[in-house]
Amino acid sequence: MLNGLLAVALAAIFPGDTDIPSPTAAVERMTAFQAKLVHTGDGSSIEDCVILVKGGVITQVGANIKVPSGAELIVHDGALSPGLIALQSEDGAVGELNESTRTVMPEAEARYAFNPEHKDFSRALGVGITTLVLAPSPRSLIGGRTAVVKTSGGRVVKPAAQLMLGLSSDALNRNKFPTSYAGAMGELEKQFSNPEGSVSRAAGGSLPVLMDVNDRAETLRAIAFAARFDLKGALYGSYWAEDVVPAIKESGLDVVCTPFNVGEGSRGIRSVVGLSKAGVRIGFGLEAPDRHPESLRFGVALCVRDGLSPSAGMKALTGDAAAIAGVSGRVGRIARGLDADLVLWSADPVALSSTVKAVYIDGKLVHGGNQ
Amino acid sequence: MIPLTEALLAAITASVPAPTLPVAVEATPVAEMSVYADAVYTGAGETIENAMVVIADGKITAITPGAEPGDEDLHVAAITPGMVDLSARIYPDGYSVEETEEVTPWIRVDLSLDPFSRDWDRQLRNGVTSVVASPYDNNCIGGLSVALKTGGSNSIEARTIKSNVALRGAIGSQPSSKNHPAFGRPTDFYSRRPTTRMGVEWTWRKAMYDALQAEGDKERAFDGLPQLLQALNGDLPVFVQAWATQDIRTAVFLKEEMAGEGKPNMQLIIDAGAEAWREIDFLVRTGTAVVLPPYRASGRTTDGAFFAADCAAKLDEAGVPVALSSHNAKAGGETLGQQAAHARRGGLSFDSALAAVTINPARMVGIDDRVGSIEVGKDADLALWNGTPFELTSRVVGVVLDGELVNDPRK
Repeated sequence: MLNGLLAVALAAIFPGDTDIPSPTAAVERMTAFQAKLVHTGDGSSIEDCVILVKGGVITQVGANIKVPSGAELIVHDGALSPGLIALQSEDGAVGELNESTRTVMPEAEARYAFNPEHKDFSRALGVGITTLVLAPSPRSLIGGRTAVVKTSGGRVVKPAAQLMLGLSSDALNRNKFPTSYAGAMGELEKQFSNPEGSVSRAAGGSLPVLMDVNDRAETLRAIAFAARFDLKGALYGSYWAEDVVPAIKESGLDVVCTPFNVGEGSRGIRSVVGLSKAGVRIGFGLEAPDRHPESLRFGVALCVRDGLSPSAGMKALTGDAAAIAGVSGRVGRIARGLDADLVLWSADPVALSSTVKAVYIDGKLVHGGNQ
Repeated sequence: MIPLTEALLAAITASVPAPTLPVAVEATPVAEMSVYADAVYTGAGETIENAMVVIADGKITAITPGAEPGDEDLHVAAITPGMVDLSARIYPDGYSVEETEEVTPWIRVDLSLDPFSRDWDRQLRNGVTSVVASPYDNNCIGGLSVALKTGGSNSIEARTIKSNVALRGAIGSQPSSKNHPAFGRPTDFYSRRPTTRMGVEWTWRKAMYDALQAEGDKERAFDGLPQLLQALNGDLPVFVQAWATQDIRTAVFLKEEMAGEGKPNMQLIIDAGAEAWREIDFLVRTGTAVVLPPYRASGRTTDGAFFAADCAAKLDEAGVPVALSSHNAKAGGETLGQQAAHARRGGLSFDSALAAVTINPARMVGIDDRVGSIEVGKDADLALWNGTPFELTSRVVGVVLDGELVNDPRK
């Protein structure tokens, strides 16, 4: 099957044989990945491409690269992509990200809430997700700061990536403040008019915001709020976006799209396609572990079926997602200097008939292969 | 909790570029148009037969009698002004009221309105071109109402005719309905709010006296004070839901008590005043206006109030300014035009019925300079009828909003 994986398998069988490197040795030695098709994460792809990895970092990428002698060569007769990035998840932290007793808690940090050894992460790895954003609950007006983490090893890529703002009806309560949009917007205005700490960084544009919205009116309100306080960042929630695409485009905000379920209606799909075609940068939330992590790729496949270009779909899962989370200097693309987070697919990753063969994080095999 | 600044509201509505309009009826933008009718009921005291209403740039520019329509021209049986409903109840229920406190005069309903809701189109199709939106009546004093057009732009600001048209509140069972006393430790805010009619009235009176005492005393200032003082000084009408006779009395007595405290100018509008017919003397004495709820076959309404069929006629006869309402934001209810027909069956004259759905409500909230009658210079908001208006056999077949034929009777 796959030469590289065979090598890995042999390594498992003959751990003492120094000619066949063990997976853990990949960090120190140079590893060369040779794949039939490489999706680079910026929308382009390269055929018969070689990727050189050393010290967990990509050192060279291209079709005509000579594999240095002494490098471990992993030949893959399929597609290779950057690790997928999910932009909203509760993996490893279920119930620990919804602080319902305080609706304004800007200094809270999602990175202190998760268990890096939790089995949620191996589920995510199994579908090719190597990076995800742990986000405070949108049921708070200012829930705290998101964290960008790897799905293996518990590494935090970016500790305080975004400030989570709840601008949807989910942040309104039946029996405690706030119960109304006007009350909620008034409190947010108060916080941003005399900003401190994280709110101050968000108001200055140095800390992006992630603004949860559900319906169209909430979307327009969030856009106006962002404009008023010069906020940079993304809207979270795309179901109704179809009707307000020009306003979103004009705002310069990115959109973290709502993930899809089996049996999803066409409006949510049309919204994602419409946003992408208008040139709005999009990524996808995951809402795991409530949803199966495969819903990430499933959603993109549905959108491609309805007109999203496959390359835009791949970008939404990789390069653009990394940019939205503010970690494009580390992950999301296959480019020199970035973390070697790689997924080996049996075929086109956007096609649902393809499967994950192996996942590498920081150059280490963490899922699949024959480890 | 926090008074919203004008700046935020302006930003929230103004900075949003108008996106594409997803309304069910197709808007046909035209700079200039004419509509012919067998009868034009201007609502300004005239009925003009065989007339043409000429419109340019969203305004009425002429009403020409004796005009002959061509075959291609838009010609209907009757035209009335676009109707005005002060109690259309367009809001996302609970999300429009800040229930953390029972007196929240600073809350503006604007921020809870969804311009994409189908409720707007339901009003517009039935000839209602202007409405007042108010916070849901779960608070004693809920906040500020706004007057808007029922169609056009998707921006709430662009639809707004006038902000802060009234200070909205409720007297009766609704503001206390979910509340309960605290036994031991309070579990939520419902355990510390009025639970009775007496408590509701006390809350209102306390808010008014707090405002009186804080007037001119910076030490005593509190959130909502500016709105309460505007209301006391007569600059902001107080728009109170009061279905039953005891609640109408409470509102009227509160106004009279404030007059005794040196605030004689408070303007009172009773909303859903089903039993106003029992309290005509008090209403006349205090110059109070009344918005009536929709008619019901049994006459029985909320809070056990009996809504007599001749209520509108009796109020009108006594000189009480009266407006009708459909409460018809949701599907399935009767239209405002039908309410006018019911009021006519109860003895209200045609002219008064027309006024009760057009110029009277417009005057009550001070938007009669723009809407409420067909006069040169006013907004071109027209309801087009297939027969005599306010007959149960007639209905609105077309609508012109700001000079645009948003509902074409020929289609």
